[in-house]
Parts: sequence; C-alpha cells; structure tokens
Amino acid sequence: MKFYLVLWICKFISEIVNIIDNTRGTKLAGEIACKLYGDEFIGKFKNINPEKTVFVTGTNGKSTTNNIITHTLRMSGKTVASNLEGANLITGVATTLIKNSLYFGKFKKEFLVLEVDERSLVRVCKHLQPNNLCITNIQKDQMQRNAEPDIIYQVIKSIIHEDLTIYVNNQEPRGKSLEQFVSKVIYFGMEKNEKSFVKDGFYDITMPCPICNNRLKFNYYNIDNVGDYECESCGFKPKEDVEYAAKNINYENNEFMVDNVTYKVPYSEPHFIYDFMAAIVVCKNLGVEDISEAFVNFKNVGGRTGTIKYGSKELKYLKVKTENPETFQSTIDSIIADKTNKIVVLALEELAEFFPPFTNTFYAYDCSFDKLKDANIERYICSSRAVAYDSANILKYAGVPKEKITVVPTDDDGAIVKELNKYDIDNIYLITWSGKYKRLSKYIKEMPKQYEEEK
Amino acid sequence: MIELNVAWMYPDILCLHGDRGNLLALKIIGEKLDVNVVIHRINSYGEDIDFSKIDLVLFPSGEIKVISKITEDLLRYKEVLKDKSILAIGTAGSIIANKTTRKNGEEIKGLGIIDIECIEREKFCGDDIYFEVDDFEMIGVQIPTMDIKLNEVKPLGKIKYGYGNDGKEFEGAQDKNIIFTNCLGPVLVKNPWFTEQIIKKAMKNKGVEIEKNINKEEYDYEINSLEYIKKFIAEKESK
Repeated sequence: MKFYLVLWICKFISEIVNIIDNTRGTKLAGEIACKLYGDEFIGKFKNINPEKTVFVTGTNGKSTTNNIITHTLRMSGKTVASNLEGANLITGVATTLIKNSLYFGKFKKEFLVLEVDERSLVRVCKHLQPNNLCITNIQKDQMQRNAEPDIIYQVIKSIIHEDLTIYVNNQEPRGKSLEQFVSKVIYFGMEKNEKSFVKDGFYDITMPCPICNNRLKFNYYNIDNVGDYECESCGFKPKEDVEYAAKNINYENNEFMVDNVTYKVPYSEPHFIYDFMAAIVVCKNLGVEDISEAFVNFKNVGGRTGTIKYGSKELKYLKVKTENPETFQSTIDSIIADKTNKIVVLALEELAEFFPPFTNTFYAYDCSFDKLKDANIERYICSSRAVAYDSANILKYAGVPKEKITVVPTDDDGAIVKELNKYDIDNIYLITWSGKYKRLSKYIKEMPKQYEEEK
Repeated sequence: MIELNVAWMYPDILCLHGDRGNLLALKIIGEKLDVNVVIHRINSYGEDIDFSKIDLVLFPSGEIKVISKITEDLLRYKEVLKDKSILAIGTAGSIIANKTTRKNGEEIKGLGIIDIECIEREKFCGDDIYFEVDDFEMIGVQIPTMDIKLNEVKPLGKIKYGYGNDGKEFEGAQDKNIIFTNCLGPVLVKNPWFTEQIIKKAMKNKGVEIEKNINKEEYDYEINSLEYIKKFIAEKESK
C-alpha cells in the first residue's frame, strides 16, 4: 500500500512540476519517491519486460546513444519510456517510471531504455535488472571521484548476470574485454576511414591491456583510445570480421554503410558514428529492422556544441566534459580543422561538480596541443579566477608564444567580452564546461547597453 | 652540454594523470639549466634496462591493478635502483613502497626501496594540495586513493592544505635520492622550482654540480598560478 501512496503523491508532484517549471521535471518526483520509499521503489513496477529493457552506460556518448535508440524504436512504432534529458541517476530512473506507469504501478510502455550513470549502476541494478546493457566506452573521466577507469570497469563487471546481452565497441579495449564475463556479446565498430589517425610521437601514450596489464599498441585510432589495437604480450585485439562495422564512411554526405544498407545521418563525426552503430546493434537485436529511415530525422538533445552571437562576432562553443581528456582532444581537433583566422577562449574553471571544488587541469596534458600552433589562431584568451594561469601554461607547453596569450584571471563574463572587443576577428572558439557557456550566453543576451559602453 | 638521462617508466601503462607533462617539464627546465635531458622510454615488461646509463627514474601514476606486475618485472633491478635518483608520483608510490594493502585485504609487494606502506582507502575525493618543501611552496591536486604510512623516512613536505599522506601533517616521503609525492598537476609542470631541485639533485648524484639558478621571472605563469590557487583555497577554507 505504501508503494501506491508514494506513487500517487509523486505522480501528482510530477504533474505540478511540469506545469510550474518543466526544467525540474526530470528528477524531482523520483527524488521524493526514493526518499519516501527507498531505492526499492524502482523495483516495484509491474509489467517491465527485462528483455525489452536496455541500459546505456559508459563514459562518453551515452546520452546521444540513449536518445538514438529511443528515437529509432519510436519511429518504428514502438512505445518507449526513456530518460532523454540525461537524468541518469536513480532519481531520474524513478521519475521516468513514475511518468510512464498507471496508478497501480503497471508500466505502460513496451520498451524501457535508460541512460544510467556508471556510478549509479549498482544501485539501480539492485532493484531493476535489464537484459540488455550497451557500453559506449570506458575512458578516463571525473578523476576526482573515479580516480581510474578500472573502478568503473569493476562496477560494470559487478552487475553482469547470466541473462545479460552486452553491446560493446569492438575497437574500445576496456569495453570489449568485458566479453570474457558474459555469454552473449554483440560488437559494433567502424572501419578505417579518412578521419582515422596514427599517434606515434615520442610523448604519445596508449593504455594498459585490460587483460594482461602490459602495454597496448594502436595501429590507428578512429577517436582517441578507440581504434585498431593489439597487445604484443597476450594477443588481445579487436574481433575480426565484425558484422556491424560502419563501412564506406562519407563525411561530406553524412553517410556510412552497414551490411549493404546505407545510413544517412544528421551528424557524422566519428564519435557520432560510434553512437549510431551502438544504436543499430541494440535496435536490430530488439527486432527493429527499418533503422536507416529513423536516423535521417534524429535530432540530438543537448549536445556538445552551441553558438553565441553578438554584433558581428560568433562564439562557437565546444564542450569539454570535466576531467575527460577525450572530449578535450575532440575540441582541439575541431579547432585545428578550421583553418581560418580565429581567437580561442580557454575558459576552464575550477571543478565544482563534486565537493570540494578543486583546480585540476592535469587531464589536458594527456592531449596533444601541438598542431594548435599551425591553426591560424591570432589570440588565446585564458579566463577563470582559479586556473587561468594554469591554462596559459598548458598553451606555453604546447609551444604557443606568450605574446599570443592573454590571461584574464577572473570568472567575470564581461571581462571576456571586453577582451574580445579589442580584436577585429569574429571567428571565436570557446572551450569550457556547459555551466560557463550558459552563464556567458545569458550575459551576452542581456548586455547590449553594457556592451556599447564597454566598446 | 651535460646530459641527464631520464628513464620514463612504462609510459603506456602508468598513464593516468597527464604525467607526460612531467617529462616535458624536465626537458624544458633542463634546457634553462643548460642540461640536455635525454628521455628513455621503458615500454614493456621484460625489457632489458641499462640503469648504469640512467640518472633519474620517473614513475608516473597508474591504475592500482598494474602495480604488482610492474614490481614483479623490476625486482631484478632492486639493488641498482636503491642508489638511483627516483621520483614516484601518486599511486606509483606502491611500486617503491614495502607493500600496499588493498581494500579487500590483499597485499601487493612493492620493491621496498623506500620505507613506506600504502593502504588503499574505501572512500576518497580529489582535492587541492598545498605544502611546503624546504624553502619553497608547492601546489597541485591529489586523488587520495591511499593512505601513506612513513616508517624510517622523512616526509617530503609539510601540509598547508589538503590530505597529504594521511589527512594529517605531512606530504610525501624522501630517503636519500628517492622521492615520493602524492602531488599531481603534473607536479613538475606546476612547480618548476621543484623540478629544478630534482634535476640538480640527480646531477649531483651523478657527480655534477649545477650552479646556475633560473631567473624567477621565467616562472611568471607558475608563480601566478600558485598565488591564485592559494587565494582559491583560502576562500574554500573560509566557507
């Protein structure tokens, strides 16, 4: 009876929240439910079919992959409950169930597709076990709380059960090596293509082999730490002739082929292609065939980019996930690919996602900045009260002359605008976290008068 | 130009916290001191290592799961390593320590070339670290996954903010030319005055005195970084 009472209260709250402030609608009801009933709440719903339940987890790409899977299932006429807005903790899972169930706890959709934060997996799986687990990749991330990728690896390993099918990237060593613990594995991948690259500089590093802990050698990469690898010690390498590998990738036309079917996609950066590939293997295994048609009109929620415009200036925002070298490297590569004159604003701030806030910037030294020197960058602006000088030092170590670097040691958004206004260059790249991007967007939106004065 | 030969130990395996920056720092600061820093990558287990040609051995931080294999591989060089200049960073302390006790009670044997022990912690959260060494200050971050117990060795520094070895007074350890620090950053990038000292001590151990001192103005970014982060820490403490 208590479950029903909590469910009714939380359904009511969910409705009210949606009316008042729908930005809080993704987790508040679930927060209250877990507080009133405990984590067991998510295990009390009826009619959830584990075979039609998919959890998407991993370091990078889980929101996008989750969203593509949900979109594709819906386009094929299935009903799906999902946490599309990235509320990926147990409270977001609970909210999704509250919103998609009837008054007596009967789950009313056919499929349940959930993005689940790696650290929340154990807590969620204790009460709600999927038969499908899609692991996008396991990379260095949020070192403040994760310390090392092996901690996440062990978490994922601990939730594996005998009925579980895992979907892994054949070219991502850590995820792929989880194959040894399960009976059913479906692999996805991508063939070598025009954006594949080699890193063989003296200071370039790879990673330890997840099987024997000796060094892995990469013959090429499709994205950082993902590609064709081989352990010279134990022979661990990608499985050959994987059925679901993207072939004939055409970045200009946003197309690739799998199993003689052409997929036209709205986003075709290599990391997106991996996300689409993950969605293809999951959806195919769930019995959906008409996938390619669904991809055409997929729109990503959130995403890693954005634009702020003011006057003739255009600030292109490139998101860095905190303490995540792979996303940092992607932003640098995007900047290098644009050969026109530009300004780069490096607005790394202290990390405040967890307590206590701290000033880490070491992840940047896992990235290769060397080519920035040749990318027609007229000026670098390093801004933030805590780590502006550290950011400038990163550039110094990348060989950027000090004369090109301006240090603005403040979190004040106006200071960035004031600095940008000194230059006639309109093409500006902003590397920062999403919080800073939102603050700066808001500042610029509200500033016309101020801007005039400053100018 | 005089040479400092550095062994970069297992860079692909000990690859956690941007430690390649430390090698760049040695190279850059070496140049300022008119020392040609030559870096030798020791890539895989079982490689023959000619430590007679090495003046400084650098162990970057790595995942704890790789430590026992590394220690096993290096046991053959234990005696020669005892007399080398060594810098071990973060979890690499486990390699040179007597032993590491994991959360599940499992014990990993270290090389035992510095008298410290490591005890893996149940819970941790990364934070800033700020401490004093001799006549200078050091700054960085720490992910305190282990408590470090010092036996018959001196600490490297005295904590002014942060967890350090065990949440109490001290940070790191040193015994003759072997140094361990919890400080990440990369530590040699953020604290070039420490890097200068490491290079000079390693050269002295080789029998070469470096008299040149680097003009502090060349460290303006690093000095400013130190000051701004000290301010950030002070604000954090006052809350």
